[in-house]
Amino acid sequence: MLPAGLEAPLARLRALAPTGSRASALTLIALLLAMPVAFGVHDLSTTGSLTRLGNNLVDGLSNGAIWALVALGYTMVYGIIELINFAHGDVFMIGSLVAFALWGTLGLGLATVAPLLIAGLLVTLVVAAAASGSLNVMIERAGYRPLRDAPRLAPLITAVGFSFILQNVGLLWIGGSQQTVPDLIGSQDVLLALGGVEITNGDTLAILATAPLVLVLTVFIARTRLGKAMRATAQDPDAARLMGINVDTTISLTFLVGGLLAGAAGLIYALYQTTVWFFQGFTAGLIGFTAAVMGGIGNLQGAVLGGLVIGCIQQIADNRIGTEWTPAIVFGYLVLIMVVRPRGLLGEETRQAG
Amino acid sequence: MIATEGVSKRFGGLVAVDGVDFALAEGAIASVIGPNGAGKTTLFNMLTGLYRPSAGRITFGAHDISRARPDRIMAMGIARTFQNIRLFPTMSALENVMIGQHSRMRAGLFGSILRPPWVGAEERRVREHARETLSYVGLSERLADRTAASLSYGDQRRVEIARALASDPSVLLLDEPTAGMNPRESEALSAFVHKLRDERRLTVLLIEHDMKVVMGISERITVLDHGVKIAEGAPEQVRRDPQVIEAYLGLGGGEGQG
Amino acid sequence: MRPLRNLPLPGDRYLAVALIAFAVGLPFLFETGSPFIDDAVLALAFVVMALGLNIIVGFAGLLDLGYVAFFAIGAYTMGWLGSNFFSGANGGEGFAALVGPPASELPGVHVNFLIVVLVAVAFTTIAGIAIGLPTLRLRGDYIAIVTLAFGEIIGRIAINGDQIRIGGVWDATVAKLPLIPELGDAGLTRGKQGITPVDKIDLPFLDPLTSLDLRSWYFVALALALIVLFVNIRLRDSRLGRAWVALREDEVAAASAGIPIVRTKLLAYGTGAAFGGVAGAFLGSYLNTVNADQFQFSFSIFVLAMVIIGGLGSIWGVVLGAVALSFVNTYLIPDVLNALPHDVGLDFDLTQLSYAIFGFLLVIVMVLRPEGLVPERRRRLEMHGVGAGDRAGAGTDVEIHEGSAP
Repeated sequence: MLPAGLEAPLARLRALAPTGSRASALTLIALLLAMPVAFGVHDLSTTGSLTRLGNNLVDGLSNGAIWALVALGYTMVYGIIELINFAHGDVFMIGSLVAFALWGTLGLGLATVAPLLIAGLLVTLVVAAAASGSLNVMIERAGYRPLRDAPRLAPLITAVGFSFILQNVGLLWIGGSQQTVPDLIGSQDVLLALGGVEITNGDTLAILATAPLVLVLTVFIARTRLGKAMRATAQDPDAARLMGINVDTTISLTFLVGGLLAGAAGLIYALYQTTVWFFQGFTAGLIGFTAAVMGGIGNLQGAVLGGLVIGCIQQIADNRIGTEWTPAIVFGYLVLIMVVRPRGLLGEETRQAG
Repeated sequence: MIATEGVSKRFGGLVAVDGVDFALAEGAIASVIGPNGAGKTTLFNMLTGLYRPSAGRITFGAHDISRARPDRIMAMGIARTFQNIRLFPTMSALENVMIGQHSRMRAGLFGSILRPPWVGAEERRVREHARETLSYVGLSERLADRTAASLSYGDQRRVEIARALASDPSVLLLDEPTAGMNPRESEALSAFVHKLRDERRLTVLLIEHDMKVVMGISERITVLDHGVKIAEGAPEQVRRDPQVIEAYLGLGGGEGQG
Repeated sequence: MRPLRNLPLPGDRYLAVALIAFAVGLPFLFETGSPFIDDAVLALAFVVMALGLNIIVGFAGLLDLGYVAFFAIGAYTMGWLGSNFFSGANGGEGFAALVGPPASELPGVHVNFLIVVLVAVAFTTIAGIAIGLPTLRLRGDYIAIVTLAFGEIIGRIAINGDQIRIGGVWDATVAKLPLIPELGDAGLTRGKQGITPVDKIDLPFLDPLTSLDLRSWYFVALALALIVLFVNIRLRDSRLGRAWVALREDEVAAASAGIPIVRTKLLAYGTGAAFGGVAGAFLGSYLNTVNADQFQFSFSIFVLAMVIIGGLGSIWGVVLGAVALSFVNTYLIPDVLNALPHDVGLDFDLTQLSYAIFGFLLVIVMVLRPEGLVPERRRRLEMHGVGAGDRAGAGTDVEIHEGSAP
């Protein structure tokens, strides 16, 4: 059946077999736990209470939920065409800006009553997601599809190009500095306090909005015909094509779904952070990609796990070391992952040699 | 010259090569055969350092090369060709062969930049040697500066062998050298292998599917099936071995093409 | 098919001489303080950097998205060794090495420019190797991300470097060696505020350059560019250059042909980085400031774009790309076309669209002519499907596996 020889079937079999060494997984986990544990110990020995760490983690998980949504988009696209969609973070940023603009159009403000606010936000969710989703698809059609047979460098560069274009759009739209947006949900208002650990409206929103989205996505990928098509194409596009799956459409669909999630994340981000910034996509993109790699690129559960973990690390770094150092720390972790265990915590799921 | 002791290779749950003892005598022409998936190329890849054995030892003369890097193994004198020809496609045939001599050259970073006379002389010498090697393998002179990708399949095979020969190796590993060749070309290759051994004192090990070539050229044949050595010996012996026949049953015995 | 030649055609040689003559004569067509020469100096500095990145990305095929790191290190070397940044050096007396007045009489460390360049080369080469090491076993796009991450980390250190107080550590350790001055209390950088002023280049037997006479700066830059160009051409047609191409096209075959992969990759990173250091040191002096705002990701992409649009791997292409993009950035957009949107009725300057124009250029070039303006002959083949390296959407059939220790 296989004229090519042994490498191809062996590599495929290798992909099915459980991946590699336990030592690297343990090392990575240890590195990830280093900061929370160190500060936890420090807290206990100085103040005798873990409240601060608890707050860090709550904030971290909420941030992380948003990053998880962004990471999912990255990981799905990489899983299916092995491309880092550099523009994905900026698609997320556009989603935020669209949401913000729509609030103005719909007249959503601090004075809006709850039912109208909820309705308005749902509309915004749909519009922002749709905007980001279609944007992602357009980028794929214009920049990546023509370059399917080119060396990997080519679509990566196009992706950077689109990233710059989108950033410029953002720049022209809301200017160069961070822009405060109406605090529609009272993001910093404490909803409940558990033994000193404060859970705010923002935290609750982030988790409660993200969880269903991830759930819907998981069901979609696992149960629906389109979801199965995505998985099949990710594993082996040639075989998928032979099965009658329209690979091009499936790829576009993947970009669409990734974009939808990014747009939703954009709205949640705007509500949570109460600021938007034309440059937020760059940072979000790198954090999102770090999360995707940490969890195992192509692996959906991994992306969510990675997002939550990165969120916590980021929050601890912000709170304990200083926000000016956080990007360096997050990227430092990215490098560490690549050195210690590039396939991530849960292992990669991309196509293998074929 | 080359020997393996109990060499195995596992990929996750799959055992590609399982406890193979193998020895290649100096000056011999030997073959490794077996049905698809038998582990032949994996064995080659271990011999040349692309894979590290999961168990066992590989020795080359007095050296243990089980964990050596591919470029070190090449520098020690074991050269190989690949089943799917792996030339550098946008380099010329000549440049491909010059690359083969990389380990025999000494020009480093500063030598390359400053180009003292000895570096210039080395370049000229290497270029000349590459031309000679190309004509030795029968590549037409005018094709030497052609891009490797633009050459015919047969010529590409020649260039790949030339690249392997360029470093004056003591052992040559050929992975399915007659793949895609017609009987006449295969015969020419067989004759060439003899020439290599006789004129250049090379030890040659082949992976082959073409039984005519295998039977005609080999002094010793090792048969693998599912990663295990099932037979070994002179051609007539192996041809009659019942286990070998059974392993090949369904592939039509005599002239399987890979 | 036209046979390939390894020696330049006689026509090429004449062209090269003509271009160099043109470049030497060019500044005399303008006033010595003219903005055109200013643009030209910047363009030449970018030529140096683009040629450096060309070694890493073009020759060796290692996708480096963090080249700004080397620019930063080169610039900071100039800032450290040529300003009053270390005002506590030598107990406030200042430390001078082979420089004349006024620099030799001021506090701070002041070292001759040529020595600064050597130190910058040393630092950036080490940095290049350090950044390259983690990428050795990674595939193409991961190399991009890791190098990008390093670029960002260095950028962050630049911004926050004031918090990193190295003076005490230095005095307790390195300063104990003979000839090495103490630094007193000192940070690593001065963040966004920047290290300024920076010593003007002071070459032996000549007066220090001034900010009025741009022609002299131009000639220094031209000299650096020509040296770098020479080094590139020599490397391209050498054992090492061939090894880089082989590495780029088929790493497995290259290793099996006797090329030591790790050493060859690290040589690419180190050499490419060194050029960034040279340009960084020069620009640190020319721009008279070394501040963190100069070191952003967009800079890395800017240099990468020069390499790609010029023609990946093609030396003259990269030179052309560097000059072209530099002039588009410093002249075409801000001076010539700036009012264009207003002419069309839109309410902003073209400079506000720089990012988008640039991004658009990248997309257009990759989709329409990925081999660039002056393609390296190999790359033209590669970009249109013939063989080579990492293909978007394909895997490799054999990878150097678990066994080849670096």
